Amino acid sequence: MNLYEFCNIIIVWLVDLVNNLWYWLGDFLPWVFGDFFTWAGDLAASDGHIAAMTILLEVLVVLIVAIVNVLNFIWLDRKLSGRIFDFYGPYYVGYRIGGWLQNIADGMKLFVKEIITPKDVDRLGFVLAPVIFVSSSFLILATIPLSPNFGVSTNMDGDFVAAGVLFAFAAFAIAPFSILLAGWSSNNKYTLIGGMRSAAQMMSYEIPLLLVVASVFLLSGDFSFVGVVDAQHDVWFAIPLFIGFIVFLVCIAAEVEVTPFDLPEAEAELVEGWTTEYCGMRFGFFMMTSYLRGYAGGALATALFLGGWQGPALIPDEIWFLIKAYCVFVVIEWMRWSVPRVRVDQILNLGWKRLMPLAMLNLVIAAALKTMGWF
Amino acid sequence: MAEAERGKVSFFGYVLRPMMRTGKQLVRSLVLGKPNTVLYPHQKLVLPQVYRGKHTLDFKKCIGCGNCVTICPNDCMWLEKLEDPELGKIERPGVDLGRCLFCGFCAEVCPTCALHMTTEFELAGGDRESFKLGPKDIRDDGFAGSFKEERTKRAVPTLDLSKCTGCEKCAGECPEMCIAMISMDKVGRKKPEINLAKCSSQGKCAAVCPEKALTMTEVYESYFEMPQPKFVLESCSGCGACARACPAEVIYMLEMPGTEKTLKDGKKGKPKKRAVFVLEKCVGCGRCFKVCKFEAIEMPGVSK
Amino acid sequence: MWINMGPQHPMTHGLWNLRIKVDGETIVDAEPEVGYLHRGIEKICENRTFTQVIPITDRLCYGSSMSWSHLYCRSVEDLMGLEVPPRAQYIRVAVLEMQRIASHLMWLAAYAADLGMMAGFIYGMRDREVFVDLLQDLTGSRLTYNYPRVGGVSHDVPPGWDKDALRACDYMEQRLREYEDIYEGSKIFMMRNVGVGVLKRDLAMNLGVTGPPMRASGAKYDLRKDRPYEAYDEMDFQVCSRTEGDCFARYRVRMDEMWESCRIIRQAVQKMPKGEWRVVAPRNAPAGTGVAMVEDPRGEGMMYVVGDGTDRPYRLKIRSPIFVTVSAAPQFLVGYKIADVVAIMGGLDMCIGENDR
Repeated sequence: MNLYEFCNIIIVWLVDLVNNLWYWLGDFLPWVFGDFFTWAGDLAASDGHIAAMTILLEVLVVLIVAIVNVLNFIWLDRKLSGRIFDFYGPYYVGYRIGGWLQNIADGMKLFVKEIITPKDVDRLGFVLAPVIFVSSSFLILATIPLSPNFGVSTNMDGDFVAAGVLFAFAAFAIAPFSILLAGWSSNNKYTLIGGMRSAAQMMSYEIPLLLVVASVFLLSGDFSFVGVVDAQHDVWFAIPLFIGFIVFLVCIAAEVEVTPFDLPEAEAELVEGWTTEYCGMRFGFFMMTSYLRGYAGGALATALFLGGWQGPALIPDEIWFLIKAYCVFVVIEWMRWSVPRVRVDQILNLGWKRLMPLAMLNLVIAAALKTMGWF
Repeated sequence: MAEAERGKVSFFGYVLRPMMRTGKQLVRSLVLGKPNTVLYPHQKLVLPQVYRGKHTLDFKKCIGCGNCVTICPNDCMWLEKLEDPELGKIERPGVDLGRCLFCGFCAEVCPTCALHMTTEFELAGGDRESFKLGPKDIRDDGFAGSFKEERTKRAVPTLDLSKCTGCEKCAGECPEMCIAMISMDKVGRKKPEINLAKCSSQGKCAAVCPEKALTMTEVYESYFEMPQPKFVLESCSGCGACARACPAEVIYMLEMPGTEKTLKDGKKGKPKKRAVFVLEKCVGCGRCFKVCKFEAIEMPGVSK
Repeated sequence: MWINMGPQHPMTHGLWNLRIKVDGETIVDAEPEVGYLHRGIEKICENRTFTQVIPITDRLCYGSSMSWSHLYCRSVEDLMGLEVPPRAQYIRVAVLEMQRIASHLMWLAAYAADLGMMAGFIYGMRDREVFVDLLQDLTGSRLTYNYPRVGGVSHDVPPGWDKDALRACDYMEQRLREYEDIYEGSKIFMMRNVGVGVLKRDLAMNLGVTGPPMRASGAKYDLRKDRPYEAYDEMDFQVCSRTEGDCFARYRVRMDEMWESCRIIRQAVQKMPKGEWRVVAPRNAPAGTGVAMVEDPRGEGMMYVVGDGTDRPYRLKIRSPIFVTVSAAPQFLVGYKIADVVAIMGGLDMCIGENDR
């Protein structure tokens, strides 16, 4: 049973429940609205409505799973960084479960804080930027399936969104726009510099990233996650495309703005970069979403290079996928806490002079492999 | 790193070498041992004895000289008059922890080591008034005995001038030749003056004293040069206020023979008195100077 | 575009303001503004007796309070003409070098945080604790020690302290190797440091920059060697210097100084003679002047004290090394990127407490 069927059963049951009400109301008030209630009940039971509601429920389930994962990620990051730094990390809040509840406590703290909109900001952009940032990041997750049975699919057969990988990367690339918007509209010199840095940085890593993804498409011959993962049945793409995998990890690190590449929010130089003027839950959204993007990056690396949900059948596919995504995330966070930040001209050098040729080389290797018929 | 290799780090140096180093620390604090943190409210560090925390005062050892008040750089101590059932009317210092620097000068200058600083450091309070600790708040009579003294002690002869007859036996017995007999103006006696810097604490002077005026007592060595009172005999009226004010029993009121007034009935009255200072015992608090109304005591560096 | 970096900015390490004029990301002009932390310490000292000033001079710099109170005591000893007993001199050398290591470690931690390397920040602060604990066992306080006195030190070293000191040196040398791996082994760290903020030797000397920034520029000038005070002339150590004058040279000079400090602590603790550790200082100073110069962790600190025969200083003048270095900063900030400001200013080891006094 896949997620669509599961959701479909629930929705059909719910629609039946509600339709009983409609038809009962129609019986009860026949003199004016009887026809209307019957019509509404019929509409609710129609195939189109049930399909739409099912997809919405699927999205809800996927998002809840994603948010729980994000909480795990934040906890894991704090705990891991604490041990790297020779202290305990979260400890007291949720003592029995290793301080897991600290995230909830922090979220509540941010939630009750006052949301200040500074006087001279460009109000529309200032309010819109977090919305774009958060929604585009959630959009990535909507397309990433945890297994062939667990993802947002559109029919009973469990077919996912066509060209889901392309969609995920398109959604991934929206965020710098919202960062630029936030930086510009905050009316602050630091946020402005942060926003501009984000735009410059995007130029440098987005192209190698997509070139590497293109090589994956070349080998798998498919744009959807299921196709890409199925193509890795024999060997993970990380092995033939090792160079590409490294380039991909570096670009993902830049995409989710972890330390060697967190120029837009460089804490020591630009105070907090483009998030300087945000406070309360708006800042909380940024904070949570950056980890959400870390999760998305880990999931993409898993699906594209590490064989996705494939693994020995001892544990379910979904768990395999999450374990791999967590491992990628841990490596990225480990790097984050170990190295200094690069400079803005150095990241451009790195992107154009190092990553770009490597990505091209990787594409050539992929083409050669494909031509020789090994994939 | 040699000059030639400057700036040249291997390819792994981008992230792998620092990551290996932090990974070692991760293993060290996760697998091999525990993190370095002290979980504060539950575990506490062992602080050394010399730690300077909250003050504590031994009422029985304190003589109320107020040297701690004088030396405090921030003026955060004061003397408070108290009525103690055991000790009677006394003056003891209190401290305002809200202004305290925790420099420890008060404990260092205390001539009897009555004032100490404990290792207690959790001193947070709700308002400024709660930091003002009076003498009774910092009283802890047993504290001084509870740990080893940091400051060095030595036994020196102390003179009780009221018993001294000026027989000069002690001066003859002293192996270091540090006792000099000084004649006291208009008293007609001599008193031994002991050079404590040369004293070797053998106690021969105290053993030989027929009146038991010299006794060996242990005093704490002080490295602070305190102001010493200078006496002007001509101005002294013999009122004895300084002797009553002195916390260290330095000042003795001695009669001056030959100054008796002849009363109307022909008898002679009591002779006039003058103050005599036994400066070896002086702690330099300046209280005699402050109470003297006739400007018979001068103390450079101390304001009234 | 003028940007105010400060008074509240993670780069400042204190309370001051660096106004930089940027063209894109490149700095074209810079202008430091100091004075936010002025407490009038020189004036306060005029109203205290010579003894009471010592804890006030502790408050000059939170990073190296020992060296400042020691400097004050030296200047007053010069005024009074006191000779410090040899044991006190050795104790002073040991605690000064411990303070130097603690100060340099705090600089290292802050520098790593400036560059975005959080692991370096925590490690530096963690290992600073070792030396702070050592000083606490000796003096009784963690930050403002109030240990030197006019004419010696406050009290003798406790038994067993010398073994702890030697052990701490061993630990420190082990950690220093680790630091060299984590900093110099990182290519990104080298990219951020090599060739950034170059201060030429002549410019450094003309501007009066002292301490590690000057030695990193090629001038081999260290008061511990050139005008030995306390027992430094009996110690075997080298003056660490580099010739490049960039951020990496400053970093390297400080790391080398920590190695040398470990050597000096070992020698001072092992050679420490027996005897008195303090002489009684007179209460009143003679009329005249006293001056002392020491090699502070941040540069050349100087105090000039005028006595007028009473028990209070008539005037106390403090020469802060960081004040000069900050004033010189615009000379070598121009032309670099905004991100380099934190590297350059962080590499100078700012301490605003002594700067504004």
